[in-house]
Amino acid sequence: MKLSQSVLGLFTGRRVRGGRALASGRMMGQVIARRFLLTAGMLFAVQGIVALLGAADLVIPDLPSPIPFEFGRSIHLGLATLWPFIGTLGLVYYFLVEELEHDIFSVRLANWQFWLVLLSSLGIYGSLALRIGNGREYLEGMPVFYVGICLSLALGALNFYKTLTSDRNAVTPASGVMVIGVFLLLIMLMPNIIHFSNPVADEGVKFWMVHLWEEMALELTTAGFVASFFKTTGMARPQDVEKWLYLEVTLTVVSALFGTGHHYFWIGYPAYWLVIGFVFSVFQLVPVVFLVHMTYKGLKRRVSTGRREKLALWLILSSLLYHVLGAYLMGFIISVPWVNLYMHGTFLTSGHAHLAVFGALGFLVLGGSYYCLSRGSEPDERSFRMGVLAVLALNLGLLLMAGSLLAGGLLQTYFWRVLGMDFMQVMQLVRPYLVLRMAGGGLFTLGDMLLGWQIFKAWKQTRPGSACAHPAD
Amino acid sequence: MKLRTVIIISAMSLTAFILVNLASFRLPNPVPAGADAGKKVWQAYNCVECHTLFGNGGYVGDDLTHVIKKMNPEELRDYLVNPPVMRPNRKKHHPGVTQAEARDLVSYFKYVNTIPTLGWPPKPSRPGGNP
Repeated sequence: MKLSQSVLGLFTGRRVRGGRALASGRMMGQVIARRFLLTAGMLFAVQGIVALLGAADLVIPDLPSPIPFEFGRSIHLGLATLWPFIGTLGLVYYFLVEELEHDIFSVRLANWQFWLVLLSSLGIYGSLALRIGNGREYLEGMPVFYVGICLSLALGALNFYKTLTSDRNAVTPASGVMVIGVFLLLIMLMPNIIHFSNPVADEGVKFWMVHLWEEMALELTTAGFVASFFKTTGMARPQDVEKWLYLEVTLTVVSALFGTGHHYFWIGYPAYWLVIGFVFSVFQLVPVVFLVHMTYKGLKRRVSTGRREKLALWLILSSLLYHVLGAYLMGFIISVPWVNLYMHGTFLTSGHAHLAVFGALGFLVLGGSYYCLSRGSEPDERSFRMGVLAVLALNLGLLLMAGSLLAGGLLQTYFWRVLGMDFMQVMQLVRPYLVLRMAGGGLFTLGDMLLGWQIFKAWKQTRPGSACAHPAD
Repeated sequence: MKLRTVIIISAMSLTAFILVNLASFRLPNPVPAGADAGKKVWQAYNCVECHTLFGNGGYVGDDLTHVIKKMNPEELRDYLVNPPVMRPNRKKHHPGVTQAEARDLVSYFKYVNTIPTLGWPPKPSRPGGNP
């Protein structure tokens, strides 16, 4: 045996042989995926509460809180970044083994990855609650915890790569795309563990994670779920899905990379980024148009689906709606440099960000989490109604939340940026919109708790040995 | 199109993106030691959650990219060391820092003010004026 193989063996333990399924009908990769997906669902539920408290702190003067606003907001952003990330790792484990029809390379590596990412995330939230952090927006935790997340990603990337290459004939477009996504997650995060004295480099590199995780790497990792859902429900032919995947990936990677430029307009980067950022932000629309077209064709086929698939489809459609309206259409408008000049740094950006994160990612990961965790069960009529109610509350809450931020942002832009009124005076004018945002946040949190409960129930019902569980459909 | 083609295009785009970024990091002047210390204070107190620099951060407080043009260094230091109550609160004060930290933060603001931002923020039509 080669030395490198011996060293790898120390970390990976016994290799899982291909195609072995457990009594539950799942492969070990899918058993581990369930841990990631449940964790993501639970962190999402917590995020709603944290965000609602933060929104209340903004509009209720002298609201007593054990955690000051600035660290509470950090926890909110930390949760907003990491729950979809953890969820998407679960989706990769789940659909990678399904696509390849053989199990993961190493169960031990997967377990290490899970615990490392979980402990690092909890470390970030715990230390921020104690007012210890690194003060970089979206990367507020101590760098050591991001080292932990990088390490967990490296373990995952190795495990996925070895799984993929153990049988090259079994590689499918979706499996390859998901693994590329995981490597990109690692590459974009790594430079963010360094301290930059240069404030321009600091801002620039921050968006490698903030923008490129959401609009590039995580879109690739969730593509496996989208592809599998369309194929298994009969909404698209496998060859159409394959064509869409390759186009989507190539266009997403190129346009998202240089589309990062719309974050670089005013941070001290050279002026040519105004052109690069705008032009490539236009191209970012193209892959979404392909996805909308495929979904439209799929819906026209009127394939009959069960309640479980319907609920997942509602979440996917919610994702598509905000993907088109919030992420790309609005993103495109605010990427026009002379529009951005005025709206940048106002609540307009915040409204766009809330829509974009749930459009590009949030609803998709929620749909994937529910779809995978409920596999092997079918919700009864009551659970289905609760699920639909959760999706409605999430949508209405998000629309109210983002709508009030956009309206407040428009006022802020006009009074502060255009007319030059005092910042605090304008904040007083905008306050009613922040109260409305809090109301929207309340509705969203209600949906968040309801869906979190549905996800938990689905996980509980489909646990091995559970009375309701039956082998995967 | 094959997976290999996707990987090659992605790798080439990523390399080009990183190289253009590295070329864009250039600063007009090197960062002085005081400004670097000030950046660490900015991060330690998590200032970015309420204030923006270059328009990026929280929107509860004013943008501080060119704060040094609005307040002189003494005023700023005094504000940071003896923080006032934050409107609309009646009791909650702005977080306070030590004299040394305030000095470093002011150095950082002075340095940030020298970074060219391509005309952002825009000049208002009636500066300080009401509608």
